[in-house]
Amino acid sequence: MAHTEMMNIALNRVEGDLEVRVGIEDGVVTDAWSSGIMYRGFERILIGRAALDALVITPRICGICSTAQLAAACQALEMIAQVEPAPSAVLLRNVLLMTEQLQSDMRHTFLMFCPDFANPIYSNHPLFQEAVNRYEPLRGKAALETIQETRKVLEIVALIGGQWPHSSYMVPGGITSVPSKSDLMQCRLLLSRFRKWYEARVLGCDLDRWSEVKSASDLDAWLEEKASQRESELGFYLRFARSIGLPSLGRGHSNFVSYGSLPMPAGTSVKTVNGSELLIPSGFVCGAQRQMFNQEKIAEDISFAWYRDNGDPKHPFSGDTLPYATGNEGVKYSWTKAPRYDGKPAETGPLAEMLISENPLFMDLVSAEGPNSFVRQLARIVRLAYFLPVMEKWLSEASQGDTFYHFVEEIDEGEGMGLVHGARGALGHWVKVAGGEIQHYQIITPTAWNASPRDGSVTRGPWEEALIGTRLKDLNNPLELGHIVRSFDACMVCAVHTISNNSNRPPGILIC
Amino acid sequence: MAKTLFWLQCGGCGGDSMSMLNSESPDLPEFLEIFEVELLWHPSFSNRSLADYQLLLSQLCSGDRKLDFLCVEGSLIRGPGGTGMYDTLFGLPKKDLLGNLVSRADTVLAVGTCASFGGIGADGEVEAMGLQFHKSQKGGFLSETFKTKSGLPVINLPGCPCHCEAVKGVLAAIISGMEIPLNAHNMPLEYYGMTIHQGCTRNEYHEYRVEEHNFGERGCLFFHLGCHGPLVYGPCNKLLWNGRSSKTRVGVPCFGCTRPDFPQAYPFFRTRNIEGIPLELPDGVDRAHYLAYKGMAAAAAPQRLKTRKTWV
Repeated sequence: MAHTEMMNIALNRVEGDLEVRVGIEDGVVTDAWSSGIMYRGFERILIGRAALDALVITPRICGICSTAQLAAACQALEMIAQVEPAPSAVLLRNVLLMTEQLQSDMRHTFLMFCPDFANPIYSNHPLFQEAVNRYEPLRGKAALETIQETRKVLEIVALIGGQWPHSSYMVPGGITSVPSKSDLMQCRLLLSRFRKWYEARVLGCDLDRWSEVKSASDLDAWLEEKASQRESELGFYLRFARSIGLPSLGRGHSNFVSYGSLPMPAGTSVKTVNGSELLIPSGFVCGAQRQMFNQEKIAEDISFAWYRDNGDPKHPFSGDTLPYATGNEGVKYSWTKAPRYDGKPAETGPLAEMLISENPLFMDLVSAEGPNSFVRQLARIVRLAYFLPVMEKWLSEASQGDTFYHFVEEIDEGEGMGLVHGARGALGHWVKVAGGEIQHYQIITPTAWNASPRDGSVTRGPWEEALIGTRLKDLNNPLELGHIVRSFDACMVCAVHTISNNSNRPPGILIC
Repeated sequence: MAKTLFWLQCGGCGGDSMSMLNSESPDLPEFLEIFEVELLWHPSFSNRSLADYQLLLSQLCSGDRKLDFLCVEGSLIRGPGGTGMYDTLFGLPKKDLLGNLVSRADTVLAVGTCASFGGIGADGEVEAMGLQFHKSQKGGFLSETFKTKSGLPVINLPGCPCHCEAVKGVLAAIISGMEIPLNAHNMPLEYYGMTIHQGCTRNEYHEYRVEEHNFGERGCLFFHLGCHGPLVYGPCNKLLWNGRSSKTRVGVPCFGCTRPDFPQAYPFFRTRNIEGIPLELPDGVDRAHYLAYKGMAAAAAPQRLKTRKTWV
């Protein structure tokens, strides 16, 4: 009889600490449980506070995506106030949200994901020394450049919004500031500097050349075309990731959700897919089947989460967040609830965005090999190639504007939702206000979608499912599990450790 | 010999670590190199194996390995019911590990308001508190009289997030053998000896009491929009954020995030007032004289300010 061994993989936090427990038979993962191990109680801190206070409290949920939290809170309050923000403010809010995503995508890739390639487990790999030279923490060339360039590009957020992280410049009606032409010119220069770095060092080609890569075979041809492309960070990623079999890891459920994000400002020259009102369209993909997105189909299941049971899964307008630690009862295992779309678990993030916006390269890659960790991380590395030209246009259009705020009366009563995409995907705030005070606040973070525990039908969450079937080369250093979970961009930090019930083995590994 | 630094994240958002990446001249890697600081562990930047990490922790906890600096980010989470199990590491409450590390470290820095005073979770069900304060009350997770091996109390570097220059500056000062003068909340005067108001580009509007009721204007935010700039201490408008700006400069009120009572229980965007005059006046002023001064200032306000013609 096969011996099942249990391992615990602890994932550090930003939006919540995570721990994943896996069952292993003959070196293959046969089951997985994803467990949020930190409770911070944000939703209940907001109850009874003035409506606008959400703009100050919610960015503090996450140090790396505070702009996305601010945008979601602001959009929910705007719906309650029934106000349209000033068009020039919409342009700038979009640009600032996208700037945060550039930062996050690059830091995640080069400070969190790729350092795994410099793990000693690959010390016999022919590209190992090169991986160390590029990704060694605080020393590697790509790591140092990423720190420098992401720092610079975030100055765009500070010029318009005062600081990054944790500002509250998006308010119902627009933004608080009146940026000068010179402020906006500075933003354009900073973006153009970032673009130069991204083209020269990350892609190894200009954005126009990259935009011609529309299929798996185009990608292969691109890689072999020039030394600058082969040797770029993307070129190295493609070579290294394929050589270690990353495309065979982390398949998952093949369900994807996007709430849609980045509203198209009035009069913009930017064009969207199928004339969508959002640059990132909304949608739900279930295998080959595509559906229109309807937020009413979202429900949170707490069958396996440490919250007080209140009947069937609830839509976030009617659900609550009442912590209920059961100790060792053994059923509940996470502080993360299980969000479901139409009863199904769904993955969110850059790959979901690529598929729902019908990006030909990613449609082709996924139809050939299915979703996997390789393609998931690839989507994160190249997402900004599609963002940068749009950001440039929007900054230039904002320079023509002079109104950045529409007056809003006191926000007194009503319900609203803010659905946006942060770097990690779909983020939603569902809010009810009465007598000027917050009565109800429910937040579903992207990581809640990706890291969700089982639901009432005992269906696993996305990365629980993605771990199943993974063959581990070295049980003492199960780096494959780190690759898979990290390809979902599990917040900022992933610390992976194993606890073995075979006491002769070392306790395991921790990867950051 | 290199100084060692261990960075522990407790109940927080990681924003203080992100703030460290805002550093320039020197940036974080350059700083560590120049001052010969060995970063033993940081949850975002380190790449150690678990065996290594656990060995390191046991060496630090037993005193076999010296620990010069312990930086703590995030609050001490005591909930539920004092168990600390809302925030764990390797299945144990993180507060237990912290209790050991603070007794071994030469110097302890509480980085950010959560670690200093409890911050976001201090009034919540997670029962958060700061290292040596619970909000403004002395004595938090550690007693009021606690001193680290260097003889200093926990040095508080509040802010949500903490400004990166405060962290680098205090580390550099200690390494260079300089004194760190502290205020009553154990905050270094070098970084918390000036109000947020000092250096705000809206100061002239403030001076003549040209005060805003709405967003999107150029005037002062103190009288009506909840700004804590003249009340609270911190380097935001001296050192600026991301090398560029600050919240107050772009029309976002200062929320007083360096103060031990942050997040305050009252609304952030509305100044508490008596007859239209803020309840809390700039630190140390006499109310009667302030009223007289503000009345005269408003009467003297030039037209260019009243019509918001002066840029900020």
